[in-house]
Amino acid sequence: MTAITTFYLSRVLGLKVYATDGKYLGKLNDLLIETGADGQFVGEPYRPKVMSARLIKNGNITCLDFKQFTVSKIKSRYSITCKDSRVVSDEESFDFLLLKANILDKQIVDLNGRKLVRVNDVRLVSVTDGTFAVAVDVGTEGLLRRIGISRPLKYFFSLFNIAIPSKFILWDDVEAVDYSNFNIKLGTTFKKLNTLHPSDLADIIEELGTHSRAHLFSNLDEERAADVLEEMEPKSQVDIIENMPIDKAADVLEKMPANEAADILDMLEDDRAELLLAEMESETSEDVRELLEYEDREVGSIMNTDFLAFAETDTVEKVLEVIRAEKPEVEVLYNIFIINDTGKLNASLSLRDLVISEPSVKLSAIMNKKHISVHDEDRLDSLAEIVSKYNLLSVPVVGKDNELLGMVVIDDIVEDLMGRRRTK
Amino acid sequence: MLAIKSSRKNIFRNVAIFFAILGPGIITGSVDNDAGGITTYSVAGALYGYKLIWTLIPAFIVLIIIQEMNARMGIVTGKGLSDLIRENAGVKVTFVIFVGLLFSGIGNTTTEFAGVAGSMEVFNVSKYISVPITGILVWILVVKGTYKIAERIFLIFSVSLLMYVVSALMGKPHWGEIGTSIAHPHMEYNSAYLAMVIGIIGTTIAPWMQFYMQSSVIEKGLKMKDFKFTMIDIVIGCIATVVVAFFIIVACASTLNVKGIQINEAKDAALALKPLAGFLASQAFAFGLFIASVFSATILPLATAFYVCEAFGFEAGIDKKWDEAPEFYFLYTAILIVSCVIILIPNAPLIKITLWSQVLNGMLLPVVLVCMMLLINNKKIMGVYVNKPIYNIITWITIFILVVLSVLMIVMPLFS
Repeated sequence: MTAITTFYLSRVLGLKVYATDGKYLGKLNDLLIETGADGQFVGEPYRPKVMSARLIKNGNITCLDFKQFTVSKIKSRYSITCKDSRVVSDEESFDFLLLKANILDKQIVDLNGRKLVRVNDVRLVSVTDGTFAVAVDVGTEGLLRRIGISRPLKYFFSLFNIAIPSKFILWDDVEAVDYSNFNIKLGTTFKKLNTLHPSDLADIIEELGTHSRAHLFSNLDEERAADVLEEMEPKSQVDIIENMPIDKAADVLEKMPANEAADILDMLEDDRAELLLAEMESETSEDVRELLEYEDREVGSIMNTDFLAFAETDTVEKVLEVIRAEKPEVEVLYNIFIINDTGKLNASLSLRDLVISEPSVKLSAIMNKKHISVHDEDRLDSLAEIVSKYNLLSVPVVGKDNELLGMVVIDDIVEDLMGRRRTK
Repeated sequence: MLAIKSSRKNIFRNVAIFFAILGPGIITGSVDNDAGGITTYSVAGALYGYKLIWTLIPAFIVLIIIQEMNARMGIVTGKGLSDLIRENAGVKVTFVIFVGLLFSGIGNTTTEFAGVAGSMEVFNVSKYISVPITGILVWILVVKGTYKIAERIFLIFSVSLLMYVVSALMGKPHWGEIGTSIAHPHMEYNSAYLAMVIGIIGTTIAPWMQFYMQSSVIEKGLKMKDFKFTMIDIVIGCIATVVVAFFIIVACASTLNVKGIQINEAKDAALALKPLAGFLASQAFAFGLFIASVFSATILPLATAFYVCEAFGFEAGIDKKWDEAPEFYFLYTAILIVSCVIILIPNAPLIKITLWSQVLNGMLLPVVLVCMMLLINNKKIMGVYVNKPIYNIITWITIFILVVLSVLMIVMPLFS
């Protein structure tokens, strides 16, 4: 017969723990769970195992191996006993997560809700194999339980047939991110956060405290970090870049579209911006420096310098090959531009026209010579009308001699319309 | 390319930084002079003349220190005070504190509507008309989201409180007497006097303002390296508060106390402005009181609902829609309704309610301060920015004195 005990973290914290021979070992201060950092748990339902328990006795803290512990419930009271108190060293428990210090009452990411929620309690289950954390309680009922008035209130409301809302989220669907205390050093990779859209992740990072924010951001790889940074509010962008080491910051800025990087650098102090530009690859930093020269209301200031340009003698097949090799961002593909040998813009080609054509067709046959373009020093206000009138997803930007400099994408135009372009 | 800095650019830069950082200190300073403040200082001056002015000096020092701590905590951790309390004090303690904060919030909002009712009575508008209408207008203003503009308008109007300065000076105050009463603090050990002292401290250092200050610095994205500008902002705000308080007390002392006039209604307090405004004194006072009350009535219940929701993990903020943050909107609306209803009770003693809500502030203050002390001295939370010893000493002394005064005030009547 297997005994299963389910319990809440709040109900066992502070309990006195005894050895099987009756010796008092201390009060339960915290439970440490494994973090599954090596990725073997991805894809399977993940219930982290409780690895050790922190006990306090007379002011001394000890960490004991939880394998020897049993949690049982006798007549609605919990008791914890320990068969063999093996001390766990700090190195062994380096990777473990503390439930009370890191999870309870802290904010965690609700992956399905794509936002931060506060943990009111943790639900655990104890079976013969061990004790596992199953879910977090983020609902009102959990709150009331912690305060201690849950039972009377539940009874009171049940008289009116009203149930107090309770909300549990399974461990798979949450990610702990709040490492705001100074002495926590963890090497987690926050894998589950990869399922979130960069925009949602940006919102979440902005809501976190200063340390969690820096820690979480530094654990993202450069591509993802660039995506997320793009979506953040200007103040947060500055905050993050200023607190990153120069080389890492330069790497992230390189992965962003040049105009976005230019916007951020513009907000930094001059000497710091100069340092970053020097650290970046010269091609990218040249682009960025040019963009920095544009004034705020000019088209050039929101221009993207990544674009695809071909000669009119190229074939559809060649274009597709190049696209597959370069793997550009999605907005670069909205329109493809055709230039002559001196770099002057002749025509444009939409992705639709490209895809419906046979591979051997030359671009000259399908390109649109009556293309719309704007100059880099034109005012921004005219752009919205143009995009709407001609149903464009991106507009090419040319210089004085009609040479192709870049393009403006619809996303940036909408941002400008919504007034999100930050004012100094 | 990127320009080389010149010293001229430096000066402009510093001024620009200052104006960008400006705000939290000055706004909290202005909201401090709300209906509760004006009433408390007026009654203090009317009842006790210059005798209570000395309390402003310790209040000023403590106010600066507390606001500095909140600003520092907000900038270093990037977290609001309610978040920090919830994360470190556990749910039970959080519950008790925030229920207290909720009651004090209702009390303060009630005070603002008392101000609305009292000031409109000077214009012979019944409170049954002025209060509901103001309540509904404030609710619409906040929920429909244009309150930031309203905030700016009110800030400008609150400059009208400077009327008290002029009126006080015109009332020919006895500077010698003022000087002596500051140099020799007068202390009476009866319940009424103690309540007055606690009320003055409670209205000058309102607990909810600490939460507001900490959130403001986070919202503005301030940094520790610019902290000296933040301090300037805080000090200016505190000076503004205390200067206006000083002159309100002096103005009332010179005009009302000498004639032995007690303040039972807002109309009585208006007489303090007679030297300046002559027969228009009542109207001028009523106008100032009305503006201050509406300004605070927009901010206060909003802040209270926000911080209580934050502590309990509910979504909050006017940038969220009703169904995204139902608890927040419900709480906000409830606070407004309860406050209006209290004021609308026939023959409600408006002045008494106002004074006691400020005393409640003063009693809740030590609790919030203790929490702050535990947080701000915690190396894990603040790192190298923990309190310097002098801050700890001053704050603990303040907490001790406040607790002693509160206990005495409650216990005294039992012995008389």
